[in-house]
Amino acid sequence: MKRDLVIGMAGSGGDGIVSAGESLISACAAEGYNALMTKSFGSQIRGGESSCRIRLAIDPVLNPGGTLDVAVALNWEDFLKFGAELPVGGNTVVIYDSATGVAADKLPLPGVTPAEVFPVPIGEMAIKAAGTDKAKNTVVLGLLSAWFGIVREGVMKGLRKKLAKKGPEVLEANERAFQAGIDYATGHPLRTSRTMEKPAKPGVKLLTDGNDICAAAAVFAGCQFFSGYPITPSTEVMQFLTREIWKYGGAVLQAEDEIAGIGAALGASYGGKKSMTATSGPGMSLKTEMLGLASIAELPLVLVNVQRGGPSTGLPTKPEQSDLFQAVYSAHGDVLRPVLAPTSVSDTFDITVEAFNIAERYQTPVVILSDQEIAQRKEVIDPIDTSRFQIHERLRPGPAELEGDYARFRFTENGISPLSHPGMKGGTYLGSGIEHNEHGDPTASGDMHAKMSEKRFRKLDPLLERQDLFRIEGDPAAPLALIAWGSIAGVCREAFALARADRMKVKLLVPYLLYPIAKGVYGDFFKSVKAGLVVEQSQQGQLYKILRSEIDLPAGLRSFCRTGANPFRPTEVVAALREIVLELQRRAETSQAMAGVTG
Amino acid sequence: MTSLATLTTPKLTAKHFKSDLKPIWCPGCGDFGVLQAMYRALAAIGRPPHEIAFISGIGCSSRIPGYTTAYGFNSVHGRALPIAQGIKLARPELLVLAAGGDGDGFSIGGGHVPHAIRRNVDITYIVMDNQIYGLTKGQLSPTSPKGLKTVTSTYGSMESPVNPLLYVLAYGAPFVAQGTPGDMAGLTAVIEEAIRYPGFAFVNVQSPCVTYGDEDQQVKAQKAKMKTLASLGHDPSDQLAAMDLARAYGTELYTGVFYRNPAPQSTMDSLVLERQQQLAAGALPRERILDLFVQH
Repeated sequence: MKRDLVIGMAGSGGDGIVSAGESLISACAAEGYNALMTKSFGSQIRGGESSCRIRLAIDPVLNPGGTLDVAVALNWEDFLKFGAELPVGGNTVVIYDSATGVAADKLPLPGVTPAEVFPVPIGEMAIKAAGTDKAKNTVVLGLLSAWFGIVREGVMKGLRKKLAKKGPEVLEANERAFQAGIDYATGHPLRTSRTMEKPAKPGVKLLTDGNDICAAAAVFAGCQFFSGYPITPSTEVMQFLTREIWKYGGAVLQAEDEIAGIGAALGASYGGKKSMTATSGPGMSLKTEMLGLASIAELPLVLVNVQRGGPSTGLPTKPEQSDLFQAVYSAHGDVLRPVLAPTSVSDTFDITVEAFNIAERYQTPVVILSDQEIAQRKEVIDPIDTSRFQIHERLRPGPAELEGDYARFRFTENGISPLSHPGMKGGTYLGSGIEHNEHGDPTASGDMHAKMSEKRFRKLDPLLERQDLFRIEGDPAAPLALIAWGSIAGVCREAFALARADRMKVKLLVPYLLYPIAKGVYGDFFKSVKAGLVVEQSQQGQLYKILRSEIDLPAGLRSFCRTGANPFRPTEVVAALREIVLELQRRAETSQAMAGVTG
Repeated sequence: MTSLATLTTPKLTAKHFKSDLKPIWCPGCGDFGVLQAMYRALAAIGRPPHEIAFISGIGCSSRIPGYTTAYGFNSVHGRALPIAQGIKLARPELLVLAAGGDGDGFSIGGGHVPHAIRRNVDITYIVMDNQIYGLTKGQLSPTSPKGLKTVTSTYGSMESPVNPLLYVLAYGAPFVAQGTPGDMAGLTAVIEEAIRYPGFAFVNVQSPCVTYGDEDQQVKAQKAKMKTLASLGHDPSDQLAAMDLARAYGTELYTGVFYRNPAPQSTMDSLVLERQQQLAAGALPRERILDLFVQH
């Protein structure tokens, strides 16, 4: 029985491949599988080629997986456009529409002989069963369902729900198409059975993507204002809040530009409300000045940057991890700005709540670095117990302080000064981007600037102790390290498991807090480390460079990175680790040999 | 001892709105007059300072919130309007004012003006228009007249000025007025009326720069030059007549109300409140927001 199945499908825009994928993942959720779906499209706004990958498993799914177990090509031309995203290997079952006229032994897949190949008259079956080739995707669902023993009931239920509005004829036609797929597969069994195990108990599951869950987390954390400007791949954050936030006394403003987007959000925060903006790289560039204002005015603000390939317009629909420098360093003047990164749809919830908590507690802008993959992939996840979260509010001045000589930027032991807002009697002050004294009055004093700068940095010191913002796994004494952040951490967690199964002495560190660098946490982790990899999806390995500039790293720790839209597979990471092990062994041999010579 | 008198709300006067900060403006700057007019207008309105949020950008005139006792926010160059709108939409109960110079409002921040107008957020926007960049010491501004020689237009400006009045009228601003510190009573009156107007209200103040401005633009010259729109028999409910008169910007100094939409439209802040009330009943408890994603 299989416990993990990776399916990739491609077709032209009208084939409904993505729609089939959505039916499939929703059925997976209903039946209790863990699952993850990524979609990929050509650059056309409508039509053109489209594809999706679905990985379903009994255990939690950490990443989209590597080589496909099942490849479905409604036509080869479109399928081949997704070469990197839909890799076919020697263990893949290939299913394609025989109407393409391609012979089973002449597939356009150079260098690969798939395990099994099924040319199926998919279009013909759809027309025969449903009277239209629009039902091709439903035939495919039938084939998958029967060959791999998955989601037969779930798909039927989903079809009924989805097609209810279209009338009984459409539903019945699709039921016939689905059955035709099942019958065909039953009549042509796989040589080697690949039936999926059934989930132990089909408990309640959630189905969502990173952008929607980020927005939901914002509502949960008490966000009452969002303003932003549409930009791929972050816009769904604004769209979700546009549907929901009013119900909680909040508001959404679609701003005229990225600057106004962050400006209005900052205004709302000055007004005493938790607020948020979301964007992607180009928008982040435009928001930078206002982020500096938030830092010096000490106002809470959450900014989500859903990273895409850059620079400039770059690859707007593909993930990359190349905005870390921007998140950390983009500022004039001395600014310390917390940066957090989720690694999955599920922990995007945790990280977003944490971002609001940090923003409010420390009166600072916080950047959430999501990326296109996490943001737009659909995941089936377990329900999240919201009772385990504490929600923090900004420190406000008490009545005694408001009746006395309230000083907005009062020097305190921990650097956090009570923050009033308009409407609060006795709390009036001048917020400003200009350096100020404790009362908020503008100043050009060098001494005051030094003191205020120190205060703005010192107040974030407690973050350096937050070990809970790191995932650390493996034998604490292991000499090999694997470090990864963001969506690529899901790949590395799987690579970590594979490497350990391969008896490598490796440990894993995934930072959710990317900045400030918690030197103590890294220092403890590095104590046993001789070598390892910092895995990133960018040209220059930005976290590795930041770590190098702030910490003494183990000599054998190196950057393992490449640009976005071409993510590492777990096996590649394992192979790179293996290389490092060999190198350590060679070095040990050499030093022993040297010792032999000199000893 | 606390006397009974201090427990009742005192009638607010101009001095209640004056802060302890000493303005950095040059002696004779028009902005002093604008500040005085604001104190008086706010006293007449009668909202206590802590219920007022006063937002500005960067420039000489953008220092103005700090000279009042209201909540102030002296933000970054050109961005007073987005911040002010965020505050008003988040807290519609506040009185929200925005202010800045001609460069702040019609050059670096010019892109925000049409959007504040079309949203009709109930804020009052006061531009202190001196046709020059004062804080950076005398460069060309978006409202500088063509031909003006400055340190960045050594041989004379080759660009026509923005006409702030026509600009906001063209985008449908429901309240548009102009004033000058040469006429304090008139300036106070238009500011007060702008604040009272339910919707986006714009006041252009010809506020001369004493250091870099021309002799014929100073307060004294303005006094002589100004003509009240009332004296011209202008009907402020007539939008086309207002636009026609606004065309004289740069040649004539008309003061008073150019346009006041007699049928105020819904403000965005009031629509926000309405939508919140309409939808409140459909809210899941916050801690159950994830139920939206449950697959059955």
